[in-house]
Amino acid sequence: MDVIGIIPVQALHGLVYGMVLFLLASGLTLIFGMMDVLNFAHGALYMLGAYFSYTVMVWTGQFWLSLLIAPLLVGGVGVFIERFFLRRIHVHGHIPELLLTFGIAYILEDVVKILWGNEPLRVKIPAILSGSVSLFGAGSAYPTYRLFILLVSFLVFVLLFLVLFKTRLGIIVRAAVSNKEMVGALGFNVPLVFLALFGVGAWLAGLAGVIGGPYLITHPGMAAAILIDLFVVVVVGGLGSIQGALLAAILIGELQSFGVLFIPQFAIFFEFLLLAAVLIFKPEGLLGEPQ
Amino acid sequence: MKNNLIWKWLALACLLMALAVMPKLLPEFYLNLLITMVIYSLCAVSFNMLLGQTGLLSFGHAAYFGIGAYAPILLFKHFECSLLLGTLAGGVTALLLGIVFGFFVARKSGLPFALLSLAFNALIWGVAEKWRSLTGGEDGLAASRPDLFLPGFGTIDMFSTINFYYFVVIVVVLCITCCWYLTQTPLGKLNLLIRENEQRTAFIGYDTFKTKYLVYLICAFFCGIAGALASIFGEYVATTMINMEKSSDILIMTYVGGRFTFWGPIVGACFLIYINDALSSLTEYWAIVQGTMFIVLVMYAPFGISGLLIRIKDWVWAKQEDNRS
Repeated sequence: MDVIGIIPVQALHGLVYGMVLFLLASGLTLIFGMMDVLNFAHGALYMLGAYFSYTVMVWTGQFWLSLLIAPLLVGGVGVFIERFFLRRIHVHGHIPELLLTFGIAYILEDVVKILWGNEPLRVKIPAILSGSVSLFGAGSAYPTYRLFILLVSFLVFVLLFLVLFKTRLGIIVRAAVSNKEMVGALGFNVPLVFLALFGVGAWLAGLAGVIGGPYLITHPGMAAAILIDLFVVVVVGGLGSIQGALLAAILIGELQSFGVLFIPQFAIFFEFLLLAAVLIFKPEGLLGEPQ
Repeated sequence: MKNNLIWKWLALACLLMALAVMPKLLPEFYLNLLITMVIYSLCAVSFNMLLGQTGLLSFGHAAYFGIGAYAPILLFKHFECSLLLGTLAGGVTALLLGIVFGFFVARKSGLPFALLSLAFNALIWGVAEKWRSLTGGEDGLAASRPDLFLPGFGTIDMFSTINFYYFVVIVVVLCITCCWYLTQTPLGKLNLLIRENEQRTAFIGYDTFKTKYLVYLICAFFCGIAGALASIFGEYVATTMINMEKSSDILIMTYVGGRFTFWGPIVGACFLIYINDALSSLTEYWAIVQGTMFIVLVMYAPFGISGLLIRIKDWVWAKQEDNRS
């Protein structure tokens, strides 16, 4: 295939990776961007989602069931972490959070190695998603599963956007994020709001794990592999901005996809150059609010 | 107060004596471990001038440790450079890199400071990974260390671990003394001021950018020296010495030791290196133990090991006062 013909497919590849990144980053946007909790265990939660889904699949053989159960389990783990660890040290600032979540990530990675082993696992996807669709005319088939990833991620974006900006619940959450004391004084249970927010963030990480597991291979190194990309997306997009995370995730996905195609030697630099450039020239991020 | 000061000097003298006699007492394996501890102590102390003194969290300190590690190996390999010059070159290359990166980083504080230093670390790691003809990429580079030539003393054989140990201890003690001296100067006091309130420091007329830039460069230089010593000691350098994992190692050492005392990071570096070595020989799943340790430490000793030790000391002294009265 000639170079021009490969562009749409490559763009789609980038979009799919970008959307998986977005799914993960949307959770981190809630936790890090809005709650200001430096959560380095987010990648580990994502990995946990992929492994939970694998086990549910082994036990029941139902992909859709694992899509329902695994993220909920991960959300539960997240709620536990917030309630008993992170909440108690948040007043001390970012460094204790960093070390604590590092510790949690270390533990989860080893637990995964003990329970599921070091080998990469193959997660089977349901028959309806395992075929391929012909796009861009005859002769070019594209895996249906990747289109499914696009669909789920887009739905999550729409849902998050609607809840955050069009409902009363969203108003409470955004108000609690910008002024905890005031919202608490108005009679809302702010710790509960934050607990729920962290839970939803972890749930999203779990969902990304279930969705991304079959696409990016389920193995114990998957958390570390995606963590840097993840933080780049959240910061470049703008802390706390869901739309920014979407834009940045797609940007990173495409940069990597085309970077590998045209200048593979320098592909890894683009992402960090982008991060540095954004921090120097537009520190609030692409779509973040200036402070 | 005076009494307290005498005790401090006595403790320091004991520590130096202990370092001097260690090669007679320890077997080769533990001497190697001790060399690693001494080297990382310098790294953590210099890092803490940013973290503890100035309140700036850097995620990218491995950039300076790493480039300091590459410099002597490259010089030994291609130019037959001398040992002292190689060590100094580590510091100087780190300083030069710091001049470029610091120009941007020192304008920030808080989270942007941390993230921008991470971005620069990632860039320099990318260079080390991809510029294979120079750095050897993942495989790394090896070069054996030359003997030390001192005018007046002649040539000292550095193949011997004991001699090299003394070389490392002397260099590190000199550097740490410099760091300590700097904390006592007006610059050191200004750093504390910036840590407590950067905005107010600027209001009363200090140029906070220049101050931060300067302390950033000092840290980069000493971290580069530590990196140089580490690669000369291992006679090898690879991208693991410049990646982001190394950055987090340095941060963790400093935090675990305790960032609010000058000597805390030294304790942290020695403790973590010892624990890592002990655990990895005990169990394959040492990360679980280490992770649990981090969590317990953060939850119950937020000021690190040195904070814990000070609390114990205060408690014991208070008890003695009670007994006397």
